Amino acid sequence: MMKLLPVLLAADDTSKMPSVGYGALIALVVFIFASLWIGALANRKTREGSFMTGFFLGNRGLGAWALALTATVQSGGTFMGFPSLVYTHGWIVALWIGGYVVVPITGFGILGKRLAQLSRRTEAITVPDLFRTRFGSPTLGLVASLFILLYLSFMMFAQFKAGAIVMKTAWPGSGVLAVNEDQKPFALSEQSLTSLKEDKVPDAVIDKLKPLVGHGFSTERDLNSQLKSLLTADELTESKDRIVKRSKQLDRLYLIGLAIFSLTVVAYTLMGGFLAAVWTDMFQSVLMFFGVMVLLFASLHQAGGLDNATRTALKNTGPGYVYGPGYDDKFEGPKATPNAKQAPRMAYDEAVPREFLPLSLALSFFCVWVWSGVGSPASLVRLMASQNTEVIRRSIYLLSVYNLGIYLPLIVICICGRALIPELPGQTDEIIPRMALLSTKEWPGGSLIAGMILAAPFGAVMSTVSSYLVVLSSGLVRDIYQRFIRPQATPGELRKAAYLSMVFVGTVAVAVNINPIAYLQAFIVFSATGSAATFLIPAVMACYWRRATVAGAFASMIGGASTVLSLYLIGIFEKMPEQRIGQLTGFRPYYLCEVDPFLWGVLVSGLCGVTVSLLTTPPDQALLSKMFDKESTT
Amino acid sequence: MSDNTDPVVRTGRREALIVVSIWLTALTWSVTTSYRLGYNHPAESPEEMKLIWGFPEWTFWGVAVPWVVCVIISWIFGVMFVHDAHLGEELPEETDELGLGG
Repeated sequence: MMKLLPVLLAADDTSKMPSVGYGALIALVVFIFASLWIGALANRKTREGSFMTGFFLGNRGLGAWALALTATVQSGGTFMGFPSLVYTHGWIVALWIGGYVVVPITGFGILGKRLAQLSRRTEAITVPDLFRTRFGSPTLGLVASLFILLYLSFMMFAQFKAGAIVMKTAWPGSGVLAVNEDQKPFALSEQSLTSLKEDKVPDAVIDKLKPLVGHGFSTERDLNSQLKSLLTADELTESKDRIVKRSKQLDRLYLIGLAIFSLTVVAYTLMGGFLAAVWTDMFQSVLMFFGVMVLLFASLHQAGGLDNATRTALKNTGPGYVYGPGYDDKFEGPKATPNAKQAPRMAYDEAVPREFLPLSLALSFFCVWVWSGVGSPASLVRLMASQNTEVIRRSIYLLSVYNLGIYLPLIVICICGRALIPELPGQTDEIIPRMALLSTKEWPGGSLIAGMILAAPFGAVMSTVSSYLVVLSSGLVRDIYQRFIRPQATPGELRKAAYLSMVFVGTVAVAVNINPIAYLQAFIVFSATGSAATFLIPAVMACYWRRATVAGAFASMIGGASTVLSLYLIGIFEKMPEQRIGQLTGFRPYYLCEVDPFLWGVLVSGLCGVTVSLLTTPPDQALLSKMFDKESTT
Repeated sequence: MSDNTDPVVRTGRREALIVVSIWLTALTWSVTTSYRLGYNHPAESPEEMKLIWGFPEWTFWGVAVPWVVCVIISWIFGVMFVHDAHLGEELPEETDELGLGG
């Protein structure tokens, strides 16, 4: 890794180097080395017990800090997508995230203790392991692991792209403020217009494209729909392909970023397994906390207090910025036009403002954050690895203090951001980096602090990826290789299989991202809600319900998964009229009755689980007794 | 039959119910308060808008206050309600059914 860096520095040919570029680069290098070092430390610790429990479950020794700071949903999206939402829609996002007030209690208090016990009784290392033994059905275990592999692959592949992008933008030459111009896969620059001229695209067309310069598009379809509104049908058919080709934003720096990111993550996860993932996660969470605190005070100072910030932000926008259901700049504020055109995917009631958070969605999200935190496989594994009940108990209040210190301040920072930077067209994801630059520019060492804040998403993405790598690899090795292919595998073979599977997953992720996937945030939302809707009810049944049967658990998993999937498919393939609520992305679900798909998923999952269980023969008493009764004192 | 149920199952179930009711209370409070104070609001000029410590009134009562209250409740819950219990031992390596020891 170290050898690569000087070469890369030399290869960087731009002469303008914003000073903060170095700050970010230094912070990134520190992150990378800290992670590798943590991986090595974890490696030593992992060797204490048997390979499988050590590598995949950290010998069930997670302490309170580790459990608290890593067990709930925090990914790259938390620090990139969330601030952008606050900046765009205003205070209402506080209610959107409001469910987080109880996430610590629900996440640890509902299943924690019992799941930790059950995982010991079933000797489970993975979540599918637990289902398999608890219900005495290898097929159920297999189905569970297939689901997990599916969802986590989705989430992980999306994260790789984020990692590569942060890496790329931290590069001195790329200039921090170019961050998100390049972040979208498609964008037109002045240069691309010049190249289009060389491609013999008519001047009239190029003139019409000028307003698009500087705007990014997440997908080809977004770009196309924008083109459709600007060009005539003939012009479109004639030059579309060339325009699309010239607006692709893939370049060498992205690929280098991807390579460095992937090598680092795979390397340290390979060394330290589960513990490496948990410890790096913890490390970045602590840094994040300090970063947010520094930024909070700096931005409040800059904006002249929160009171002032809110009033100024309102002046810069409109009343929707402060009140529900959220601000839509097409319908109020300086840019509002009577016939707001925003290239909607379906012509449908254009005069109606988009409601970011109608009451139904406010209720939905209060449930989504809470219950997807309880049911997601990555959180379940953390609970299985917890040391004892005291640890679970302490994690509850540690995490609640931590969340209070992260989410409310992030909202405040972004409100100050709207007051200080009235507009960021097409680049709202940049709000945190921009605030970091703006508010620390007069400080000694400010560029390093800004660099650290810029690098924070990188840390978040890295630790998320590494924990998925562990779960994916444990799924491949434990639930598939060891169960079905080679039950008699020796520890040495298992170790080899674990390493191979990680390298394999890493390679696939890189391959997928050479041509990056659009819709980062939406993929994450889909997978998080999908996996939680699949596993929440079965996990609750496994923990607390004696009468639950194998068939019931099956029905519940499949019911939950297929409901969420269908609602997303309906949304994606535009089978229903566009709903003007929620986040504006291309990858959005159909909100049946304006309620998030997750809730329908859980509802169907619960109904299926209970009815099918009651209709099938009760489970074997001996099995139940092993799972539910006091252990015999022999 | 049920007398023999492990205490962890019983306390776990009870704690889970308490947690679910905490969640329901928080949800009801947050959403109704925010809706009552924050939705369908007449347009105001920035000067006459009512703020509490810089938070819009609805955010203060509907999100910030419950958040602080929940931190306190989490602490009380963690300290007072959760019963510590023995979770059981991992089987010794030799008896591991899949022979993963060593």
